[in-house]
Amino acid sequence: MAQLSLYRPGSSPLHKLNPLTKLAVMACCLGAAFGFPNPYWVVGFYLLFTLSLAAWGGMLKPFLVQNAKLILPFFLSLFIIQGFFYGGATVLFPLGPFSYTLEGVEVAFGFTVRILQAIAGMTLFIFSTRPDHLMLALQKHGFPHQAMYLVVTTMQIIPQFQNKALAILEAQQARGLETQGNLIVRLKALFPMVVPMILGSLIDIDERAIALESRAFSKPGPKTSLIEIPDSETQKILRWCLVAAGLLLVVWRAL
Amino acid sequence: MTKTIAHLTDFSFSYAGSGTKAIQEINLAIKEGELIGVIGPSGAGKSTLGYALSGFIPHFFTGDLSGNQQLFGQETSQTPLSELAGRTGMVVQNPFNQISGARYTVREEVAFGLENLGTDRKLMDKRVNETLERFKLASLRDRSPYELSGGQQQRLALASILAMEPDLLILDEPTSQLDPAGAEEVFESVHTLTETSSTTVVLISHKLEWLAEVADRILVLVAGRIRGQGPPREILTQPDLEPWGIGSTQYTRAARLASSAADTSQPALPVTLDQAVGFFKPWI
Amino acid sequence: MDINIQDLTHAYNSQVTALKGVNLRIPRGDCLAIIGENGAGKTTLAKQINGLLKPSQGVVNIGEHTTAELSPAKIARFVGYAFQNPDQQLFASKVVDEVRFGPVNLGYSSQEVTTFTEQALAAVGLEDQTEKHPYDLHLADRKLLSLAAVLAMRTPIVIFDEPTTGQDALHIQKIGAIIQQLKAQGRTVITISHDLDFCAAYFERVVVLRRGEVIADGPAAEVLMQVDLLATAAVKPPQLVRLALGLGWDHFAGTPEDFMQALQNK
Repeated sequence: MAQLSLYRPGSSPLHKLNPLTKLAVMACCLGAAFGFPNPYWVVGFYLLFTLSLAAWGGMLKPFLVQNAKLILPFFLSLFIIQGFFYGGATVLFPLGPFSYTLEGVEVAFGFTVRILQAIAGMTLFIFSTRPDHLMLALQKHGFPHQAMYLVVTTMQIIPQFQNKALAILEAQQARGLETQGNLIVRLKALFPMVVPMILGSLIDIDERAIALESRAFSKPGPKTSLIEIPDSETQKILRWCLVAAGLLLVVWRAL
Repeated sequence: MTKTIAHLTDFSFSYAGSGTKAIQEINLAIKEGELIGVIGPSGAGKSTLGYALSGFIPHFFTGDLSGNQQLFGQETSQTPLSELAGRTGMVVQNPFNQISGARYTVREEVAFGLENLGTDRKLMDKRVNETLERFKLASLRDRSPYELSGGQQQRLALASILAMEPDLLILDEPTSQLDPAGAEEVFESVHTLTETSSTTVVLISHKLEWLAEVADRILVLVAGRIRGQGPPREILTQPDLEPWGIGSTQYTRAARLASSAADTSQPALPVTLDQAVGFFKPWI
Repeated sequence: MDINIQDLTHAYNSQVTALKGVNLRIPRGDCLAIIGENGAGKTTLAKQINGLLKPSQGVVNIGEHTTAELSPAKIARFVGYAFQNPDQQLFASKVVDEVRFGPVNLGYSSQEVTTFTEQALAAVGLEDQTEKHPYDLHLADRKLLSLAAVLAMRTPIVIFDEPTTGQDALHIQKIGAIIQQLKAQGRTVITISHDLDFCAAYFERVVVLRRGEVIADGPAAEVLMQVDLLATAAVKPPQLVRLALGLGWDHFAGTPEDFMQALQNK
């Protein structure tokens, strides 16, 4: 994978939405996750709204797989911990000094469903949005292009760091540096590994800065873009509505 | 009367924090459309000369400078970087470090410089497509720059700068880290460049055979000073190049040995294969 | 110690097989250049010899040792490897400490370490830069420093990965002299190189790799003349070989002095 991202390419209507609109969808989903007072409403929202969007985005199967993967650790720990330790009147079954209660299960269910909805909202966004498109959209709305550059480049260059680290490891091993063994051995191996990484990176930064200058990076003034990120008045209004809905839901629960 | 693109008069420079002068008393005028080859041993100041000609000194590298520095007819130090942006560019040794990292596809990477210049989208689209065709990158347009081979990345770096149609291009050992196939790709691209545009090029390289074929004139830099300049065949066959650590092509060396062994007067020493075959034919 | 490579196959994953059934015997003291385009498997082969990579199939023996059974750090006792990019290994604050690192790791006595270090630095011409910080040296000298670091390990086998990239003529001469010295000491010297002129000047045997297979293995004077074969491996013959071919000769590889010799004999 050339970039550090979970983006899944596609040409669905969801993909074609403006990244900021998708950000608003995510905000609404998060609002719903923690907003509705009754967790069953969250389930309803998940099934009706979130899953439909995933289907609309042509990614239902990977979406469900990702949700399942991420919710599983929460699910297990919550149902065990809350089930045994929440305390409550209705005992489902005893286990030694502990009692597994219905109230505990209900609390676990509530938490699980909300976390699931939150994960779902973020997954929808991440799967359907190319990070560089998001940055372009933000740039159009006035975010400084240097900051945007920093985010996108970091995502692209971090996987390359792994290659560099491996090359350094090999070079030092070839000079007799043992890297397997007890803690002392490993600690001693750290310095000859880290220093070339840092110094080498500094040289790379220098050369990259020259390359960027050659591409007029520091020229002040408005930037244009080759790719058109589609947007419309409808989407703008929709964004406001989605964010407002998310906020209202959270406020509702707080009351 | 061709325009002078860059002009250094009695120019000296030492990097900040360094006591020694990296280049000194440089007098050099570069005319529009020329391809100047720069040769010299390691540490001679070739890269520094490239920076001084293109405006990276003083705008990017700070230090002590003296003498006069002109670019596009104006004092380099007085011309703000924003005016120079897009008019000069530099390609360096390491292909990987020249990928901006800001774009996910080759096509967008080529457009990056134009985007920074605020170019109109329609014009940008046209330029990008033309550039991709010109440098044979069209089939790679949707690939990630990080998936390309070294030679392809170097071609991409070149294309990305040339899309901006700069007036001056510095190539600092562009083929050093490439395999022969990759180096060949870059050679071809530079040939294409010289044949299809009037961009002025300064080419710093150890590949003497290549310089002999492509340079209008060659500059010799040793320990920060210009020690000679002139037509390729004349400069590249000078015996001084050996003690200076610059060397000669194998053709020149073999011919020099043959010449000193023979008694009769010899024609000019060869630098390229064709010249060498012509030189040695009478001997066999 | 002899290197014996039998039926070596290396696959990085289910799609990429870098080496296919390579058989290579490199007797002690041989001086060999491995050439071929990027991706042909040259570096993979070299890393199999120093144990950084282990065979997917087949075996690599160095003397009586099998590389699959030893860690790279242990194989470093027999095989020194000079990497292409010096900046991926320099970490000490002084030139002399950088060179000492190898022999110290190999467990040499303090007296031996000092001797080996001094001699290695003298061999590359950096003996009066011992207290300098490696990054105060120019890139070309940093490369010489990384070579000294390997020389100080006194291994019977030395591998040079692209030793002449980006080097000026003077440095190439120095590197050539080092190789002659190693040869005179009876060590096995192997290089991976795109610099055909360098290979022709200093190496007697040439192995050509293409897509993971050995397509030629023999004396430089024979292999480097086979223009069509080299073309399939995306390699052009050295300058003097091209000249020899242009003059109608059928057998040549070597230095300008060798060329003069051949010219006089014709």
